[in-house]
Amino acid sequence: MIPEIGHIFLISSLVLSLVGGLGPFIFNKELPIRKMALLMFLLVFGSFITLIYSFVVDDFSVAYVAQNSNINLPIYYKFAATWGAHEGSLILWILSMNIWLLAFISFDKNRNTNFSNIVFGVCSLVIFSFLLFTIFTSNPFERILPIPPLNGADLNPSLQDFAFTVHPPLLYFGYSGLLLPFAISISAMLSGQSNKDWASSSRPWTLLACSFLTVGIGLGSWWAYYELGWGGWWFWDPVENAAFVPWLLTVALVHSLIVTENRNLFVSWSLLLSIFAFAASLLGTFLVRSGILTSVHAFALDPERGLFMLGIFSFFVLGGLAIFAFKNSTENKTSFYSLNSKEFGLLLNNVLLVVLAVSILFGTLYPLIYEAYTGGKQISVGAPYFEFIIFPFSILLGLLQGIALYLSWGSTKSFNFLTKLILESLSIFLLTLVLLFVLFDELIPASFFTIFIFSWLIVGSLLINFSFKSFNKYLDFLNRRIGVLLSHTGMALLVLGVGVVSSYSNDIELILDTGEKIEFLNKDVELLDIKDINGPNFISKTANIKVLDSGRTFNLQTEKRTYFPSGQVTTEAAIDTGIFRDFYISMGDNFKGDSWSFKLQSKPFIRWIWLGALLITLGTFISSINILRRKS
Amino acid sequence: MNPIRKQRIYALTAIVVGSILAVYLVVSALSKNLNLFYSPTDLLNNDLSPETLIRAGGMVREGSIKRSDTSLSIEFIVTDFKNDLKIQYSGILPDLFSEKAGVVVQGYLEKEGTFRAIEVLAKHDENYMPPEVAKLMEQTE
Repeated sequence: MIPEIGHIFLISSLVLSLVGGLGPFIFNKELPIRKMALLMFLLVFGSFITLIYSFVVDDFSVAYVAQNSNINLPIYYKFAATWGAHEGSLILWILSMNIWLLAFISFDKNRNTNFSNIVFGVCSLVIFSFLLFTIFTSNPFERILPIPPLNGADLNPSLQDFAFTVHPPLLYFGYSGLLLPFAISISAMLSGQSNKDWASSSRPWTLLACSFLTVGIGLGSWWAYYELGWGGWWFWDPVENAAFVPWLLTVALVHSLIVTENRNLFVSWSLLLSIFAFAASLLGTFLVRSGILTSVHAFALDPERGLFMLGIFSFFVLGGLAIFAFKNSTENKTSFYSLNSKEFGLLLNNVLLVVLAVSILFGTLYPLIYEAYTGGKQISVGAPYFEFIIFPFSILLGLLQGIALYLSWGSTKSFNFLTKLILESLSIFLLTLVLLFVLFDELIPASFFTIFIFSWLIVGSLLINFSFKSFNKYLDFLNRRIGVLLSHTGMALLVLGVGVVSSYSNDIELILDTGEKIEFLNKDVELLDIKDINGPNFISKTANIKVLDSGRTFNLQTEKRTYFPSGQVTTEAAIDTGIFRDFYISMGDNFKGDSWSFKLQSKPFIRWIWLGALLITLGTFISSINILRRKS
Repeated sequence: MNPIRKQRIYALTAIVVGSILAVYLVVSALSKNLNLFYSPTDLLNNDLSPETLIRAGGMVREGSIKRSDTSLSIEFIVTDFKNDLKIQYSGILPDLFSEKAGVVVQGYLEKEGTFRAIEVLAKHDENYMPPEVAKLMEQTE
């Protein structure tokens, strides 16, 4: 009964979203959009709750529950299993879009203007298409009748983990947040809203979407690092790229909207970029869920779904572009700027980010292009391609970011800050080198570029205004610009993390017997024993390892788990975390008796990558909240 | 020159230079980093140089996994049900590696026909088959 209620909720919200989607375009009448948005949200929320309920009470007559849960699964994971696969994650996605829409309408001051009505209409149409897709190709409430299975298959063991329970919701929330800039851009073109108004109403939402995308991607990276047992933090897998490309475009949009709002420039560009960012998020969904690309993220694959997604994608993207081509009635006043202006700096920022995004997208899609072109020959484009591409772009973007905050609108009067920037960043550069030498006893030239960019960014975002004489003024500067300073500093930390971890990492694979001791990077590592441990839905072999690291002794437990009923084996890595380095041990295969193979890794500065992502998340979040507060 | 036109020229120059840089990078990166996928049958008659990094894959043949007791080296046979390919690898295998499961390896084809893998690719999900291998299976059936 309960799943049917959920199904009815879904169908009702489908009808409601269709009315909401067509209303503003057909009747030109004032719709009660607040109430409609609230009702639509409640219906989808209700259906989400019924799905959670079916998981929690082990209703295996629901096919989706039977495929993704199990009677022995701990209750917390039953709850999280709701978004563990395709169907449930779609509901979550639709729910997120509803939350965004509701938030936009609640904060919208000029209620029931033509502009807000069209934003509501476009959002409803997108929600309608996703609901249609869910109900017709991916219904999570489908029953297995007349004889339901007694027990469910299971939730993929790699997903039975804390980060998994929060990574997808946050990432979907970021992805679906790109709906608002899209709807706002379409509405601006159709209603002829003035540039300043639509850009300023789009900016807080774009920043907020960027914030959630960043934390979602960051969590995914952190999860992959400790859960997959390989110690990598980014694999250039198509699914990662499918999130990274929209992220790059969103960051570009955040910057171009500043120019549109303040200077009435790059108007068409911001409109277009809003469409592209949304398109990239849809394309990502399509690539992931149609299974046309080889990826580690396995969703249940179905060509029919792929075709449907492609339909949704084409409808909104082509529709958006057609409106852009024929209906772009936004005023195009021009203010003037010269080559040394903030405008030009932001223009370069956008060119670099967008070109980088396109190059990454191209590499991701190239296997498809190649296969079609050569008649079935299969290739893969691996990490070296993407690393080769991203390096020069990061250097250019980094150099630009360091000076960006000191450029002025129109034209920059004085470049006196440059001397200070260069001197201070050279000092930070040298200090960092000394620190690295003290920590790791060596200097690796390959990392110099990134370390210099780190220093340049730190000085450019934080230190350049620092002076002991007017410390209060400095605090005031930090306070006033807290959002932008946090996110720009976050970028600096991220760059340093990436640079150091990719050149200073060390690893070794070896076989250890119980009681055996080895030395790795001045650490004594001893395998004490191997124990059998029983978990709620797995059995595990747990290796207890003692490490002596410069006077400090600690024990680490790495596990090989076999989950039932699937019999799937997973590795639980043991990590000694630290601000300057992680020491990472993962268990391999069993050899004779109690001897096992292990992989030992040292991962210097890896925490800085996620710390950086966290600061970007915080910074964009704070900026967004500040703008919203100022407006209301 | 009027300022608007000047600005257009700035913008265009930035876009053109950015795109040229990208095209140059993409082309040179692609020419170095494309790894073609081969089935065991494809590898039977070929003139690949042992220095070319390639990918191969198929199903791990039952009973073909040979481990050493004292080192991390391992040998196994991958089959596409028409022909076999012997794979040598040294290192820890991914958790989802097992007999009768699909696998994709990256590495070099040695002169005598064995494949020296430098990477055995892992997937999140045991029910998941790498598309290359799935396609191979379809063609054989």
